[in-house]
Amino acid sequence: MSSGLRQTFVIARRDFLSIVATPTFLLFLLAPLFMLGFGLVGGLGASALDGDGSDNIVIAVVSPADAALLHAADAQMHRDYPGKSGIYRLETVVAGANPEKQARILAKKDDKNVYSALFGTLERPVIIEQNEGGLSGRYLASLAEMAVRAKADGSMRPLVQPEYQDLGSGANVGVTRKALGFGATFIIFMLTLLTAGQTVSTLAEEKANKVIEILAAAAPLESIFAGKVVAMLGVAVLFISFWLVVGIAGSLAAVAIFADQASLAATSAAGSAGAFNLADFAPAIGFPAFLGLGVIYFLLAFLLLGSVFLGIGALASSMREIQMLSLPITIFQVAMFGLGSAAANNPGTTLATVAQIIPFSSPFAMAARGATDPAIWPHLIAIVWQGLWVALVLWLAVKLFRFGVLKSGPGWRLFRKRTR
Amino acid sequence: MASTVIEASGLVKYFGDFRAVDGIDISVPQGSVYGILGPNGAGKTTTIRMLLGIIDPDEGTRSLLGSANPRSVSDRVGYLPEERGLYPGMKACEVIAFMGALRGLDWSAGRKRGAEMMEQVGLSRVVDEKIRKMSKGMAQMVQLIGSIVHRPELIVLDEPFSGLDPVNQGRLEALIGEERARGATIVFSTHVMAHAERLCDRLAIIAGAKRRFEGTVDEARGQLPLEVRYTPGDGAARLDGLLPAEATRRGDSFRFPIEDHAVAAWLTRLVDSGHGVASLSIERPGLHDAFVHIVGSDAVRDDAAMGDAK
Repeated sequence: MSSGLRQTFVIARRDFLSIVATPTFLLFLLAPLFMLGFGLVGGLGASALDGDGSDNIVIAVVSPADAALLHAADAQMHRDYPGKSGIYRLETVVAGANPEKQARILAKKDDKNVYSALFGTLERPVIIEQNEGGLSGRYLASLAEMAVRAKADGSMRPLVQPEYQDLGSGANVGVTRKALGFGATFIIFMLTLLTAGQTVSTLAEEKANKVIEILAAAAPLESIFAGKVVAMLGVAVLFISFWLVVGIAGSLAAVAIFADQASLAATSAAGSAGAFNLADFAPAIGFPAFLGLGVIYFLLAFLLLGSVFLGIGALASSMREIQMLSLPITIFQVAMFGLGSAAANNPGTTLATVAQIIPFSSPFAMAARGATDPAIWPHLIAIVWQGLWVALVLWLAVKLFRFGVLKSGPGWRLFRKRTR
Repeated sequence: MASTVIEASGLVKYFGDFRAVDGIDISVPQGSVYGILGPNGAGKTTTIRMLLGIIDPDEGTRSLLGSANPRSVSDRVGYLPEERGLYPGMKACEVIAFMGALRGLDWSAGRKRGAEMMEQVGLSRVVDEKIRKMSKGMAQMVQLIGSIVHRPELIVLDEPFSGLDPVNQGRLEALIGEERARGATIVFSTHVMAHAERLCDRLAIIAGAKRRFEGTVDEARGQLPLEVRYTPGDGAARLDGLLPAEATRRGDSFRFPIEDHAVAAWLTRLVDSGHGVASLSIERPGLHDAFVHIVGSDAVRDDAAMGDAK
């Protein structure tokens, strides 16, 4: 083993152990539980609010006969589009001497979530909208249309009787694969978001404790920086492995506990929708290669972004500066994810190619490409390309640190004149 | 002639517009204890950093253990920086093992040897103690041991005595002696002349970013003339003709410098004068006086320059 590589692993080992052998690491490890907990509480709160009588309401100020027709149409709509957005709850009020005034008063009532109010005849209704051109007005118009047709036909019986057929095995594979590509991009992004950003502060301890000079005298800065990134990568891998094991164990336990119910449900699903075929959901490159590439692209995404953040953090002179850096770092990560996910949703486009070439979005975009494109060679090129960029970013980070912090080296031409 | 472990020629380093080191030459013989002396801000630490390859010189050449690339021989070098620093959450034995591992020593060997060396300096009770629980002096000794645990050929110590109490200073001097006896070359910087006078075979005095002197301790002291301290036996207040014009009086005694070749003639005059002798000493001034003489007004300049640079 070369001296530089040995020193890289010595530094990585120390950093890794010093991170994982602390109570703080336990908090970090269990952070997803807190996220899940907060998500659950938020979801419960939202659902409590949702079921608090605040439905989206449309009102019709019409005669009792027209009201009956409108309610029948509303019931038909709710049957046809169960639980869909754009569907409102209809309330009717018997029209008095001044239906317009009634409608306007009802539309402005604060205690109800009224979106639109209708008055006039069903053939020529006037609709007052909270938001001009919104869906609620169109919904009332549709109800009136159905009611008038029913009045002419004598019933609310649908004139069209469609037969719905399954598109069939493999026919919708493009959509599935795009979704799979986006899923891979999202997972890699979430994992790097959780772990890579922490490299920004890894040199802070050495700078604060003045250990940096001991390290700099003993090992090349390249080994120090690489050791730091490798240590954090080890922490990230440990974190992911832990949750993977927890997830697998949880799934196996769930299968064992609910085996009978699951078997029943599977039989029922097979009976109603045809046999489940895993091949319908397989990425173009195949599951084993897709998963393997996913792991490699996560490692490269971590190394790339981690190296950038390490380099930036190494230049910071205080913890306050490092804290200030967390926002632009998160924005940068989200921007790269945005580019990667755009590539996932538009495979084969120029945008996708650009995202695959830009080194910091390349791991996300290439992971998505594996879902829609069976070719292996672009991945080999991308892996080499991203690896080169990891080395380049580390080299640049070291150069900046040497020049900016250690005040060593000639720097760039631009600075050289100014420093004499 | 003994071979050298450090050869540097014309080292120059700028920090912005500040010329921190200005054309320094250094040559350290193998197996010697070499002192780099100078006032605060003279450029000692910057010179050491350049010699070790922590920073690169803007001009000049350097060679460490025969290599023009100091990094390539870092496993054969031990270094204690001026700014002490250790990981406070680590145990002493782990810190020592880590520092040894950085220089190529096996972790377990580093732990074992570190424990032995801690015992040697009377700190065996804190081997498993975390650094944050130790006194500054103890932590400094741990760092020193970490710097030499891999038994380097060259040991570079930047201001090793600063911050140590007299007991630990004694321990450090003993440790330096042992390392030298082992065959290591030791380079240390200091502005405490007593240590340099006791330990150094050769020394360089740096002031105003330049090297003002290079040689042995005796050669440094030889930069100043002998000093006469004389108290007349008859208590005379005026000794016209016997004392030179630059003689000063403190109480009953007189002091003045004298060249080596003039000593015999002056003693003859003293006997002839008949004033007698209550006390008389003719001595070479110490390294402290030689240092002050060599550095002169540059000491003031260095402090001012450091203030500006900061």
